[in-house]
This record gives sequence, structure tokens and C-alpha cells, in this order.
Amino acid sequence: MGGDYLIAVLSNIGMISFIALSAYLLLVVGEISFGQQAFFAVSAYGSGIATAMWGWPIWLGLLWGALVAGVAALVVAIPTVRLRGLYFSVATLAFAEMVRLILEIFTYQVEIDGELVGPNGSDGFRDIRAIYDSNVSAFEYLLIIYGLLAVVLVGFLILERSRLGAIFRMIGEDPMLTEMQGLNVTAHKILAVVLAGVVAGIGGALYAHLTTYVEPKIFNVMLGVHGLAYGLIGGLGTAFGPLIGVAIDIGLLESIRAISGYRMIVFGGLVAVLLIVRPRGLLDEAAVHWLRVRWRELRRGLRRGWRRAEG
Amino acid sequence: MLEVSDVAVSYGNIEALRGVELSVEEGGITCLLGPNGAGKTTLMMTIAGILRPRRGRIRFLDRDITGMRPSGVVKRGIALVPENRLVFPAMNVHENLIAGAYLRLGKRKAQVQRDVDHVFERFPRLQERSKQLAGTLSGGEQQMLAVARALMARPRLLMMDEPSLGLAPLIVEEIFRIISDLNADGTTIFLVEQNAHMALQVADHFFLLEQGQVSFSGKPGQLSEHEVIQRAYLGKSAQHDPPAGDRGRPDGTTHPSG
Amino acid sequence: MVDFIQNCLDGIMLGSSYGLLAIGFTLIFGVMRRLNLSYGPSIMVGAFVGTLVYLEFQANAVAIAAATVVGAVIVGIYVERLCFRAIRRGAAVASMVSSFVIWMQLEEIVTVVFPDRTYFFPPLVSAAPVELGPFFFKLENVVMFACAAVMTVWLHWLLQRTRFGLALRAVSEDPRAALFMGINVGAVMSLAFVIASAFGGVAAYLIVSADGQITPLFGLWATFKGLIAMMLGGMGSIPGAILGGLLLGVVEAQSIWYLGTEYRDLSAYFLLFLFLVFRPGGLMGQLAVEREQAATRRV
Repeated sequence: MGGDYLIAVLSNIGMISFIALSAYLLLVVGEISFGQQAFFAVSAYGSGIATAMWGWPIWLGLLWGALVAGVAALVVAIPTVRLRGLYFSVATLAFAEMVRLILEIFTYQVEIDGELVGPNGSDGFRDIRAIYDSNVSAFEYLLIIYGLLAVVLVGFLILERSRLGAIFRMIGEDPMLTEMQGLNVTAHKILAVVLAGVVAGIGGALYAHLTTYVEPKIFNVMLGVHGLAYGLIGGLGTAFGPLIGVAIDIGLLESIRAISGYRMIVFGGLVAVLLIVRPRGLLDEAAVHWLRVRWRELRRGLRRGWRRAEG
Repeated sequence: MLEVSDVAVSYGNIEALRGVELSVEEGGITCLLGPNGAGKTTLMMTIAGILRPRRGRIRFLDRDITGMRPSGVVKRGIALVPENRLVFPAMNVHENLIAGAYLRLGKRKAQVQRDVDHVFERFPRLQERSKQLAGTLSGGEQQMLAVARALMARPRLLMMDEPSLGLAPLIVEEIFRIISDLNADGTTIFLVEQNAHMALQVADHFFLLEQGQVSFSGKPGQLSEHEVIQRAYLGKSAQHDPPAGDRGRPDGTTHPSG
Repeated sequence: MVDFIQNCLDGIMLGSSYGLLAIGFTLIFGVMRRLNLSYGPSIMVGAFVGTLVYLEFQANAVAIAAATVVGAVIVGIYVERLCFRAIRRGAAVASMVSSFVIWMQLEEIVTVVFPDRTYFFPPLVSAAPVELGPFFFKLENVVMFACAAVMTVWLHWLLQRTRFGLALRAVSEDPRAALFMGINVGAVMSLAFVIASAFGGVAAYLIVSADGQITPLFGLWATFKGLIAMMLGGMGSIPGAILGGLLLGVVEAQSIWYLGTEYRDLSAYFLLFLFLVFRPGGLMGQLAVEREQAATRRV
């Protein structure tokens, strides 16, 4: 296994993690989205257009991509947020498929250095070369991906300890009860959808610049449902859950050569069994609570031992 | 007729019933009172075969029915009118009644149809609404339908879980009149109630269930209604507190909400 | 005008197969209150079993159709056991994700066994289109429509007139209350899966034999066509499923004719989105929404 291969796998894990986190955030507020790939796609195209066609610097392109994704999420959220359960899920699916099918016919090209650059319908969008033009190596780009992932993750951890995070979980548990507490469920849900859109958008922008080439069919419903599944495999108790889910699938199984070609047969069976035993994933709420308590005990024990050693 | 001995049921680590002992005499109205969370509904579910007891025995007509499947329990002659009625909302009244006789539907269609007529005689209001969807009935009508549906199983023992829940006082009186009538016509009744006042008026015998155990068994009048109400609404711990204001009004027509 | 009517006729024929797919979806959703994403892939496996029977034995149409249905039913039972029965109540998301990973599994099993991906599937009838005045009817589409009509009538009879139908309706309205009636809820759920899979199997056979070929992608296609048709018609309603299927078929046929092939799915999803936002109950109206909300307080 060469270093390039490792970097490629790690980059993939990093980017898919954004989609998984994005779907996870909506699971926290009690909604299942089949459509987070739409924001990934919108941002991939948006940031690609910004850097490859308008000549913006990468960082601004990434920011722009995330912003576009957030705005797209807002546009979906406003009409769909009052839908519950399967209705919301199918609405997100319909929206995402609309985005993909529109990209199949979306053409916007300009001539740069004698070549046509830009999205060209189902042929996709080539030459998003910003990171190569500015000589960012694959390893450096990996660091950028994981740096941004770390920022998002820290954001999630802060969110989980904050009042807003508590409200999100409460809405997920019982929206009616939350409403009766005098909290605005609709506004909070819109916020969650927009935040989730931005998170997916960061992943999409990173993806477009890593591969330099995107085409609409990448952003099909499979991508979104995978992201959703990762959250449930890893566990709904903590934002680390989705990352564990991604790591298990892409990191572990894809690297076991013995099962290449049968990966999904093994993975499907394993996950199905896992979900029977732990229907809310490996790190579900109870497991996270258990770990926290143990961690606290361990720290207390260490401190006590430390003090004894000092005294 | 029904003997429950030493029945314990738990949900995960939480023990809902801790060795319940009680019996229901044939021909009478037996009532089970107790505060919220004492395990009354759990006991009903266990007798009906929905929940399995961790230990203990349930005997019905001298046969062991412990751990029997719900269909077996219904076949032996126990029917349950569940809490919150649980009628089939998008089926009409007639279909709901037929569903109550589900286990007999295969072979005895004519008998079932006679039973429907019979039930309609008892509940003329249901006959008027025969083709109406059950979900569009009023609360009291739904309760009647739930009782009628249970009767369609031709039960020897009719178990009723809080039939007065959420109904207006006048309707509650009507429901209790129906209970008395049914009993007078020979159906044994086992009633779970919050409404201690009404329940004590019709019951021949009653049990108090507190914290998963039977804490009192006797005839109405053996315990002052005041004490029954206090224990039935608030549990043992509240015994020495001052009377609980409007929560336990002596007329018993209001329910402790929440 | 002739074009428009011809498109409607084509759409109704095509839509009748969507309706069959949607009936399967709606039956499973009705009793389970959970989404079976593996529905399409399991009938896709059924169609590949049919292909296998054709390749190995050069079997006739009836045998191929039977193999397709039997295959779909067997895989349907596998999915029901693994993704639905084994996962406890209240964990609807887990069931759905489980059905998704099993989808991936089924698709890969098929690609391992059938490495060429695209296979010839023998047509049921191969005759020239029938002309009726200014209109054309493809014979395979007429057969499709007739089968769909017969099966819908049969299902209606089963649900409204039989003891099993009563039990199935009772379970889909309130599984708990059904249990109190002495109905064996688990068995009813399994049988609902079998019927849904059989409907799916027939739909798969009709669609695939009309196309003349089968690929593993048929699973995805069938899941989403069925899902869209079910939502357009109104979740949990059998007439809704059929009407939703027909509407979807007509909209697709008109889009292909007036806008072009690339707009076929786009208009379907656009229509679905509009329906969800403005009329979530679909064609059958609000009743379905309320019933569904009452039954699935927590997804």
C-alpha cells in the first residue's frame, strides 16, 4: 500500500465525513434526510465555478461553496420544515434529485486560455485545478481537509454542550413538548437544516477541488443515504458516531483486499446484524453516557492517586 | 375465576410488578385501584398475554394461562377493553365489531352476525352509526364501541382499563351503568380505574395496587372512601399529607392530570 | 391533441406498473410504518432469478414469470426477517437503514453472480402495436395494464371481503389493538410482505419483459418509482397507490414528448415536491396524512 493510496483513502474518509455529519445533525432533530448530497453538489459546483471560472482564491472558493449550500438549504427548509417523518425525507429526496437532474442539463462555460471551462451538463465540470495551480500537495490538502473537519467537529462538540444543542435534541425527542415549552420549533429546525447544508457544503467544495472533476451522477441518492447510514452505524449519541461509521466502511473494509468485490455483501450483513443489537448505533446515547461516567471516574481516580502520590 | 399469584414483570431494569397476588370471583365486579405508575395497566397487559411475567402464575378457570399468546387468552374467554379505547379509526363501526369476533370469523359467520345484532340492541347509538368511521365518533361513543367490540369475543371475563378516562361526567355515569348492566347479564368484570368514587359504587370487591404490589384487598366500605381516594391517587407516601385539595375531590369526577 | 391523448394512454399503461410497485410499498408501509428501501432491489433479484431460469433452461414465459415472483417473495421474506422483525419496535430509522445496507448487499450479490450487468430478458409478447383509430397500443403495455387492473381488483376484494383482509387492516391501523382481538400480528405482517413482494415480482416481470433487458440498477429505479407513486397518491391508500402510479406515468409520458427525455425524471420529482409541500396527503387527501401522523408519532 503506497503513501499516495493512503492519502487518497484518508481524503475520501474526510470528505464523506462531512456528509455523514450533515445527515447526523438532522437525525439529532429527529428528521431523516435523503438529500444532503444536494448541498454537497451545489457547493462543489459553486466553489468550482468561483475558483476555476472567476479566478477566486481557494479559501474564498471554499467559503463561497459553503455559503451557496447554506442558502440552498434555507430555500429547501422554508417550505419543507413543517413536514414530518417520511414526508420530510421524501421531500429532501425530491429536492436532491431535482438538483442532480438540473445539473445534468446545466451548462455555463467561458473561454479561458483558449479552452472552454465550466459545467457542461451531463459531461460534468472539468479542470477545477486551483489546488494544483497554487502547488498545494496532496498531503497538504489532506491537512486542510482534516483541519476543517476538526473545526466542524469542535463546533459539533460545543453545540452538544450548548443550550442550542439541548433544544435540538429535545425537538428530536418530542417536538410537541418543545413547542409547549415556548420554543420556536420551526425556526430551530430551519437553523438545523441550514447548518447541515453548510457542513455538507464544506465537504462538497473540498471534494470538487481534490478530484478537479465533478459530474452530476456522483451526487445521486446513494451518496446521501450512505451518509445517513454512517451516522446510524457509528451511533446517534455523539458527533464521533458518523465518523466511526465512515471509518468502518471506507477505512476498514475497503482496505481489506480479501473481500474486495464482496465488500458490500460483508458490510451489509454486518451492519444489519449491528442494527438488530444496537438500533441507534455503536455509540448510542446510553453508550455515550456510560463512557462519560467512566471517564469522569477515571479522572477522579487519577487525581486522587496523584494527590496521594504527592502527599 | 382468575387467580394471579406472585406475578412480577419488569421493563429492562425497572420492576413494574413485584409479586402481585389477587383473584377475581366469577359473576362479580372486581376493581383495581391505584396511583399512576403503580402497574395497573402492566398487570392487564400481562393477563392479556402481551407481556410475559418474570415469575408468578396466572390461572383462569383452573387452567394455567401464564405466558400464553394473546390469541390463546382471547380464546379462553378473556377480552380487554384497552386504555384509550384503541378503536380502529379508519374502519367503520360495523367492521370494528366484526374485528372483535376475529377468532370466530372463519367458521361461525352466522353466529357472529347474530352477535352484532345483539350488541346493536344493547347499544342502539352504535347501530345508528354503523357505517360511520370509528375515528369520527365522540369519546363516549368510542368507549362504547370499545366495550362492544370486546363483547364480540364472547368473553367470560371482561377486563376494562380506565373506561372513564377523558370522558365528561355524564358520559362516565353512562359507561358505569353499562358496566352494571353487563354484569347483571352475567359477565364477570375486572375493572381498572382512577375514578375511585364511581368504581367503589359498582364494585363487589376491590384491590389497591401501590408500587407494584397489592396493598389492600377488601369490600367497598371496609376502607373509608377518603383513604381509598388518597391512596388510589397519590400512593402510600401521601397518606399522612393533608387532603389533596382539588386533585382528589370527593365526588371523584375529576382526574389528577399529568 | 392526438399526441396529448396518445401520451396519456401511454402514460396510463406505463403508470399501471408504477401503481403495482406503489401497492407493494403501501402495503408494507401500512402494516410496518417503516420504509423498506430494499423493496426495489428484492424484486430486482427476483427478475434475475427469472433471467437465470431463462438462461439455464430456456424456459417459457410462464416459468420465467413464476421464477421472478418466487425469487422476489423469498428475498422479501429475508428482508422482513432481518430488517424488520428482528429490529424492535420504535426503531424505524434502524429498520430503514438496515433495509438500505441489505439493498447494497443484494446489488453486489447480483453483480457477483451476473458479472455482465446487462442481460437480455425475453419479452412476453412480441407483436406489432395495435392500431385503434389514430392511436397506437403496444401489446406488452396492454397486458401490463390488464394485469395491474386484475390484481388491484383482487387485492381490493382481499382487503375488504376476507378475514385476512380485516386482520391486515386492523394491524395497519393499530397493531396493539389488533393483538387484543387475538390477531396474530407477526404472521399478518409477514403475509403482507409476501403479498407486497409478489405484487412487486409481477410488476418487475411485466416491466423488465417489456424493456427486454435487466440490470442491477432496476432495484434503485423500482424503489424510487414505487416511492414516488405512493407519495403522489397518498401514503397507505391502495386506490391512492394506483392513482399515483397513473399520474406519474402520464406526467412522464407528457414530459418526454413535450420537453425531452432528460426532463422525464425532473418533472416527476418536481411534481412530487409540489405535492409534498402543498398537499402532503397526495391525491387521496388529508386522511392519509392524519392517519400516518397518528401512527408514527416518533419516526
